[in-house]
Amino acid sequence: MLFLMGIFSAFAQQKNVSGVVTDFEGLPLPGVNILVKGTITGTQSDFDGNYIIQANEGDVLVFSYIGQKTVERTVGASNTINVQMDQDTQALEEVVVIGYGNQEERKIIQNVGIVKEEAIENLQVVSADQLLQGQSAGTQIVNASGVLGSAAVIRVRGVNSINSGSQPLIVIDGVPITDSQNTLNRGGNTGINPLSYVNPNDIASLTVLKDAGATSIYGSRGANGVILITTKKGRRNSATTVTLDVNTQYSESTDVPDILTADEFRQFKSEVATLQNGTPTSPEDLGLGAIGSGGTDWLGGVQRTGISQNYNLGVRGGSEKTSFFFGLDYQNTEGFIIGNDQQRAGARINIDTDVNSWLKAGMNLGITNNRLARVFVENEIDAPFTTAFLQSPVVRAFDDEGNFLQSGSFIPNIFARVALDTRELKTFRVIGNAFTEVTPFEGVTWRSEFGVDWLSTEETTREAAFNTPGGLAQVVSVREERWLTNQTLNYSPSIGEDHNLNLLLGLNYEETLRTRLNVSSTGFLTDGLRNLGSGSTPTVLNGDRFPTRLFGLFSRATYDYKGKYIVEGSIRRDGSSRFGANNRFGYFWSAAAGWTLSEEDFIKDLNFFDFLSLRASIGTVGNDRLGTFPSLGLFNAGAIADNNAESGVIPNQPENSDLKWEESETLDVGLKSTFLNGRITFNASYFKKTTRDLLLNQVLPPLTGFVSISRNVGEMENTGWEFELNTVNVQSENFQWRTSFNLTTIDNTVLRLNEDATTDAQGRRIIDGAIQRAIEGESLNNFFLIRYVGVNSQTGDAEWLDVNGNITNNPGSGDRVVTGSPLPDFSGGITNTITYKNFDLSFLMNYSYGNDIVIDGLRFADGNDAIGGIVNIRRQNLNYWRQPGDNAFLPSPTSSTFNLFNQRSDQQQLDGSYLRLKNITLGYSLPQSTLDRLGGVFSGIRLYATATNLFTIKGDELDGIDPEVTDDIDPLFQGESFFTAPQAKSYSFGARIQF
Amino acid sequence: MKTIKTIIAFLAIVFTISCEDRLEVVPEDNVASSTVFSSLETINGLVVGIYSKNQSGDLNGNPQLISEFMSDNVNFVGSFPSLQEIDQYETLATNVTIDNTWFDGYELIAAANNVIQNLPDVSTEDVTGLTEDMKTTFIAEAKFLRALTYFQLVNLFAQPFQFSAGTNLGVPIVTAFFEGGDISEFQLERSTVNEVHTFIEQDLLDAAAALPEDNGTRAEAGSARALLARLYLYREQWAQAADLANQVISSGEYTLASDYDFYDDNPNSSEHIFVTINTPTDGPQEAAGSDEVYVNFFNPAPGGRGDAPFSQNLIDAFAAEAGDRRFDELSQAASDAGGNNTFFTTKYPDIVNNASDGMVLRITEMYLIRAEANLRNGSSVGDSPLNDINLLRNRAGLANLGSVDLAAISLERRKELCFEGHRRMDLLRNNLNLRPGGGPESAPGADKVIFPIVDDEINNNPNITQNPGNF
Repeated sequence: MLFLMGIFSAFAQQKNVSGVVTDFEGLPLPGVNILVKGTITGTQSDFDGNYIIQANEGDVLVFSYIGQKTVERTVGASNTINVQMDQDTQALEEVVVIGYGNQEERKIIQNVGIVKEEAIENLQVVSADQLLQGQSAGTQIVNASGVLGSAAVIRVRGVNSINSGSQPLIVIDGVPITDSQNTLNRGGNTGINPLSYVNPNDIASLTVLKDAGATSIYGSRGANGVILITTKKGRRNSATTVTLDVNTQYSESTDVPDILTADEFRQFKSEVATLQNGTPTSPEDLGLGAIGSGGTDWLGGVQRTGISQNYNLGVRGGSEKTSFFFGLDYQNTEGFIIGNDQQRAGARINIDTDVNSWLKAGMNLGITNNRLARVFVENEIDAPFTTAFLQSPVVRAFDDEGNFLQSGSFIPNIFARVALDTRELKTFRVIGNAFTEVTPFEGVTWRSEFGVDWLSTEETTREAAFNTPGGLAQVVSVREERWLTNQTLNYSPSIGEDHNLNLLLGLNYEETLRTRLNVSSTGFLTDGLRNLGSGSTPTVLNGDRFPTRLFGLFSRATYDYKGKYIVEGSIRRDGSSRFGANNRFGYFWSAAAGWTLSEEDFIKDLNFFDFLSLRASIGTVGNDRLGTFPSLGLFNAGAIADNNAESGVIPNQPENSDLKWEESETLDVGLKSTFLNGRITFNASYFKKTTRDLLLNQVLPPLTGFVSISRNVGEMENTGWEFELNTVNVQSENFQWRTSFNLTTIDNTVLRLNEDATTDAQGRRIIDGAIQRAIEGESLNNFFLIRYVGVNSQTGDAEWLDVNGNITNNPGSGDRVVTGSPLPDFSGGITNTITYKNFDLSFLMNYSYGNDIVIDGLRFADGNDAIGGIVNIRRQNLNYWRQPGDNAFLPSPTSSTFNLFNQRSDQQQLDGSYLRLKNITLGYSLPQSTLDRLGGVFSGIRLYATATNLFTIKGDELDGIDPEVTDDIDPLFQGESFFTAPQAKSYSFGARIQF
Repeated sequence: MKTIKTIIAFLAIVFTISCEDRLEVVPEDNVASSTVFSSLETINGLVVGIYSKNQSGDLNGNPQLISEFMSDNVNFVGSFPSLQEIDQYETLATNVTIDNTWFDGYELIAAANNVIQNLPDVSTEDVTGLTEDMKTTFIAEAKFLRALTYFQLVNLFAQPFQFSAGTNLGVPIVTAFFEGGDISEFQLERSTVNEVHTFIEQDLLDAAAALPEDNGTRAEAGSARALLARLYLYREQWAQAADLANQVISSGEYTLASDYDFYDDNPNSSEHIFVTINTPTDGPQEAAGSDEVYVNFFNPAPGGRGDAPFSQNLIDAFAAEAGDRRFDELSQAASDAGGNNTFFTTKYPDIVNNASDGMVLRITEMYLIRAEANLRNGSSVGDSPLNDINLLRNRAGLANLGSVDLAAISLERRKELCFEGHRRMDLLRNNLNLRPGGGPESAPGADKVIFPIVDDEINNNPNITQNPGNF
């Protein structure tokens, strides 16, 4: 029908209408949407603001552009309509996504970090969390390693839990996604990144909910912060655009330590042995082969230049009633570590339509299929980087015919491991929701959402007989399904011009079921027999299901008077199957108030501020990451409980029906300002977050027959400042330069540990680890190590400090003191965006200052005796003490401290401060004239080149060591690494074509 | 519109109510404490679970191994530091081997306490198939296993009865099951050895009265009586020891096996009164600690570690009287972990499955107890000591003795029960040094012929008392 009408109207007096669209200053405005009202006919203005559209006399043209007031013009006799658009006086009235709703940015009194589409559209990243890096104050992201798929450690306002996980809740289009560790631990307790299943190109914006005012609506899951991801939607009343983005990326490692070659290794070992034995000892005497007899460059051999291809297609558009976005995505990524690559294919469809005046319906659906060839991350003999560092360079990898050789020690021939073994992870994930929105009468909206997060992983391991006699196959198959519904009722009564009230009532129910099957099999006749059934001894390692359910009721009320005084309150009641029977329901609340000072006359009179507001909030949120049945008394069944082929059960976990969520109370105070005609925006906030009822494992007296019980006993506090400064440095017709800068400080204090916790010499309760120690009254994370002084230039002995600060040559564990902290004094990011004519250049830097890192692997890579002296070492070890006056790295080989040198001490603790050029992108958009010459098919072509991790400013002692690594997401192990593979340095070149 | 609102409100209420019901989720891979007593299968499973705990290498394996090498039967050549410490009488409270034994002992006791404490309250009307007789048997089995474990713990962590007539400190007696509440009930003082023995005696008397005479391979009345006989022997209550041993012998449930094939995965042999049955399909016995110890330590490589060969003293003891089938058929020549040529026992032969059974109580021991108790008591309950000993010698292919004294009975006892974990207590209760020609460190009453109370207990129980000695 519509089609027929289209034809009919085409026979009417259709003509070309053209003109120029300019902004309020008269500068041409490109990209303005122009639509014939009531039709799907539309166009966009070109780079010079010109447009041309077919319309009939009497038609209404609608001109719309973000930040400008929409203009409507009726087509008259003239064929020319020039439009000057007016800046939307409420430019800040951009709508941002918050928990269970939207709000005008100007009126938000919650503390949220917003990363808008403009900030990320030109970033080329492998996974979505990298979009957040350095972009938002209070959000710290440490990429675990350069191994593909490894999870980043994401912290919103620091660590708020000790045992229950500190990762924020991630919500994609209203669906809180699962982030259980469903894969095998491949060295480094970081697991697979839950965000690696989301196509970054589909993401329109990210909102980080930080204070209780923002997060308490997520109740028992909000304590670690919430990250809301909104995927791209279509645009109403706009012409359909097709964007094709194609790029190729080359990646290599950022930094690797300098280690010895085979001959250097032989020379060093022979020199040391000669000195120690007092008689000349040759490398042959040591069984290392003669100088010049060859060896293997293991570290070189595990690296490569990874070549990756990305293809991304987005189709976006909409009519008056319907808007849509389709996305297609294919990534073939090759890591810079041998054996590590990933193929991801994804599709997305987001569509919504107005069925009639009171009903709207739509659906957001993303599907990803992923295949990842995994390598071990670190501290595992199968981890390419760890093993390549440690393997002796004199060990040969291949015989003369090129066949793999066994290494002869427990450190394997890593080339053979990677080449012959298979470790493949296949993932299929669907995240989506369908919704209806009913507006029964003005001011009331009932939104009904049904969402799903369906994750299926299958991890296959097949170890070859060369590496594992008899071979080994293992399949871990996990399915994690979450079904949920959100029902919200929104009520905005009109109660006069000056009063704005918004009421939200909602309900949220989720069911999650995780099913796991883990089977291994050994005894394979040949490597050609690939699968479980062909091994002689299959074993079921796990076969279990973990169901959880959550039911929440929530409400939020927001009121403002003339946009000047704003108050907001929210409450949520959460029931969870995880909580103990006595604490099944938790109540979480928040209250916030804001004052828009710039609406007051006394500020207006200053004629300085464009916008100025103060806000404060207080409230509570919970952390429900307690496991599946943490409160029940449980008995184990299976092989562990049987006797003489009879099945039995044995006690496993004592009952704790009082068990409940960890609860955080946050106070947040903030200021937002814009001045100098919008040139400068400055926001600051302070927060104090106290987490109570921290879940700690209380050790039980052995007479109970149990080892420990989880109880809500601990207390911890995080305080911090967050600053954001955005400036428009230059704004002219051809040249624009904007800078945004953010800085975060966080102080952590453990207020209380369990009463039966171990105490230190001062009687303070502690949680002790080999490297770190959490101390009651101090930060959760302290490096607690022996202090290393250096090599005495006169004696050639290594020297440490004892607990009293006196020099010692033989320190013990009692000499450990607090030596540093993995928590930075401040961290953040800086982004600069420069456009000059058709060129754009942006560079994003992130930084961290004042934190220490401990590279535990240096205990092996330094010194002479680790693992019996068979391992390779860093080049600085060649600088051993020879004579008085030497300023040596390594003590004298004849010193009694020579083999103590590399014991665990702050010698392995390094200053982790850095400033890194995370991303630099140079783009060039073809001018309209060129596009015209190409036949007008294309509405835009942008060519770009991106480099990531191009350079890093860091201390000299970090030579060869990437400061931005961590090997564990456990809050108690932050800033520690063994030999985590460094981040990738990559260069990519691509084109984005729009038509 | 009003209708729509009403419908929405109605739906919301209905949905809310139905959702709250769904928050009660039942585990599928564990049994919850709230339901574990609600079916016959799980109640039986609770009892099987106690037997399963008894399979732990830290209760049946390590204590026996340690008993043999702390004394003069085994020359320990292994490399585990925690075992070396014990071998050299330098055991510290941080020793991981004894730590596991302490933990596993009290874990078994907890599993038994759960049944003993909670099963009486379960009504047979509520559980299909459960009868009062079954309840009685289940509780009696739990009491037997609890007594067996307390006896093991008090023998290892306290000086024997002979040290001060049982007035010295034994181990804490826990009778309650921890259900998540107050921990102070589980921070108990140590009871005296006499108190612990009395507790064990009562459990065994209850078990002997309630258990069936024949209960397959599970604990039966004879098992309880046999352990009681051993308890009385250790306490030098000769008349009761002889009487109980005689009751077991004359019950007709058990007879001396004609040869020694009962060691080889043969739990149904008439020789056995109670066996810790290890099977190939057992799987891991515990999440941490030791699994099967017997096969691993008592066998030479390949198949075992070769850590626990015969001591020269034991080889000599057998050599003194040639033709003893207990040496000829139950030993093999092989080199040990230190590369020395020596002999190993073949009492734990299942190196293929690593699943040889633990000999806990067998009829031979009853003859030995009856002989020793009768001799000491000047009685001949059942039969004379000479006849009892000759019976065993005949099976071993040795000639009859004309007369027996305590030394002859002890030697016979040693040759019969070597590698089965009796030797240490046999020497200590007879006031003999654990090592031939041994110094004060291995003398009866020395601080480290017993174990320290483990660090984990000391740190978590303010009421516990450590044993004397530098721990």
